Amino acid sequence: MRSLISFRPALAALTLITLLISWTNAEYFGMEILAEIAVLALLAMSLDLLAGYTGLVSLGHAALFGCGAYSFAVFTAIWGWPASLSMAAATLLTGLVSLVVGAVVTRVQGIFFIMITLAIGEMGYELVFKTRALGGDDGLAGIPRLDLSAIGVDLNDPGIFALTLILLVAVVYLLLLRLLGSPYGAVLTGLHDNAGRMRALGLPVQLYQTSIFAFSGALAGFAGTLSAQHTMFIAPQLLHWTTSGEVLVIAILGGLGTLVGPIIGAALITLLRHELSDLTDYWGLWLGLFLILVVMGGKNGVVGWLEAGWRFVARRGAQSKSTARRSNDAAG
Amino acid sequence: MLTDSGFWFVQVLNSLQLSMLLFLLSVGLTVIFGLMNFVNLAHGSLYALGALFGYSIAQATGGMWLAYLLAPLCVMLVGAILYILIIDRMRKAGPMKQVLVTFGLIFVLLDIQRYLWGTDQLGVTSGIPFSGSFEIFGEIYPSYRLFIICVGLVVFAALFLLLEHTRLGAEVRAGVDDPETASCLGVNVERTFFVVFLIGSALAGLAGVVAMPAFSAEAGMGVSILVPTLVVVVVGGLGSLKGAFAGSLLIGTTLTFGQVIIPSFASMLMYALLVAVLLIRPSGLFPARG
Repeated sequence: MRSLISFRPALAALTLITLLISWTNAEYFGMEILAEIAVLALLAMSLDLLAGYTGLVSLGHAALFGCGAYSFAVFTAIWGWPASLSMAAATLLTGLVSLVVGAVVTRVQGIFFIMITLAIGEMGYELVFKTRALGGDDGLAGIPRLDLSAIGVDLNDPGIFALTLILLVAVVYLLLLRLLGSPYGAVLTGLHDNAGRMRALGLPVQLYQTSIFAFSGALAGFAGTLSAQHTMFIAPQLLHWTTSGEVLVIAILGGLGTLVGPIIGAALITLLRHELSDLTDYWGLWLGLFLILVVMGGKNGVVGWLEAGWRFVARRGAQSKSTARRSNDAAG
Repeated sequence: MLTDSGFWFVQVLNSLQLSMLLFLLSVGLTVIFGLMNFVNLAHGSLYALGALFGYSIAQATGGMWLAYLLAPLCVMLVGAILYILIIDRMRKAGPMKQVLVTFGLIFVLLDIQRYLWGTDQLGVTSGIPFSGSFEIFGEIYPSYRLFIICVGLVVFAALFLLLEHTRLGAEVRAGVDDPETASCLGVNVERTFFVVFLIGSALAGLAGVVAMPAFSAEAGMGVSILVPTLVVVVVGGLGSLKGAFAGSLLIGTTLTFGQVIIPSFASMLMYALLVAVLLIRPSGLFPARG
């Protein structure tokens, strides 16, 4: 078990190194894909906190992501605020929205939780879609990127932007690892395993669920501000429930409740989408089949497979060591 | 226009017609939900398949009547294949995995539909029964929409009789109520699940083929109808015929009159209704299991 606990950070380090190596080899298009992977990884990690660790499967997470993106766009492109202030304000605003939404949705459980988050998310989608001031179905363009020229960093360079995002993923991963290792993180896992027992232990279950919903939402909003800066154009599709579904797919393909899984899933799905859409018009078919096979395979996504493989290798190693010792004993 | 009684009467008919389509779709879904605790997001894709099969059959035979009969059977066959390959194995997997597998199924079925039928809107122009229209309170109304309402009401009556007065109905009610006790008492719950899933699939296909002459068919139509259907199921309460009927009427009316009164925010009204119902009655209006 001990080897498994250190297995995941090692895997995360390996993933990060792979991303950095591909960064050094990437050209313009590769940089765009790497930035896309990093944004999706942040979003999927925020959903993993909720769905994987706390057991709250939300189909409205994309709406919070879109809330961050749209408020960033409004603050910068319409109101003319500086990008740094806008990022902080958009993240905070999304956190507040998530706090209110979380206080409402955590009153129902299971399939009803899935449905109520879907409904509230779709309300957000409809609101943006129908509001002309937010660009309606045309979307919003002209969104600037953060200006870091004071410290000699030009984020308008696709390579620098991609690298910044990859490093951000690493920082957020470490912070979340720290959070999940704390007593608060232990409560979240407890809520996932048995919310009833946690309530019997005298824990304010709904308060904890609301707090993680708000935190996870704020992180999704933060990812949204980065997504808006990446594409410099946003459309209401960002908030649609199928986007939430795709993020859930990313998290489960990588491995839910592993934190590194969502990063691997984001890389895998983004690459698959670009490779397959070059090869076939029907990439959704292959993606869907792949998803069905992974979920029906019973293991916890890619991380689950790798862990099973690692366990197998470790057991074989231990066995050969013990047989060697036994033959030594016999000889002695 | 807004004070014209004929206009409002037409809107009432429109809302009834939408409600009946939603009812045909949601009744299968709700019993699958209630009986098997299974979340089937691909139910909307079966609706699209019904419309597309119906289109092909109507093209081949030159009339709709055979399509009404055969398209639901074709969809039932697809449902049987899905059940054997996927649904049966995912029954005990918990809602999250079911959501994911059936979400994947949406993609697969959508691309299969796009491959077989293309991405254009497909409609039939000839051989449609009740293709005329009639005048009511000074408004012209197509007869076909009345036919849709009648199909919904007939199916409701048939399902009511099936559930209340046959052995299968009793087994379904017992299975929804308490599957373990039912199977201890000798009910073959597995077989009941299978039959219910087939009937649900066929009804989704029927909804598709009945809707097709009025709204035309296209590959993506299953995804857009899915969310209102899910809302009906949750608002009505899982597993109950009465709930599906009441939920359909409520959502159909909300959507139609919302469209007339505040055109931009009709579907927001529907979601707000769902949130309100879930907060006041967390298990829906008429849940089968108290």
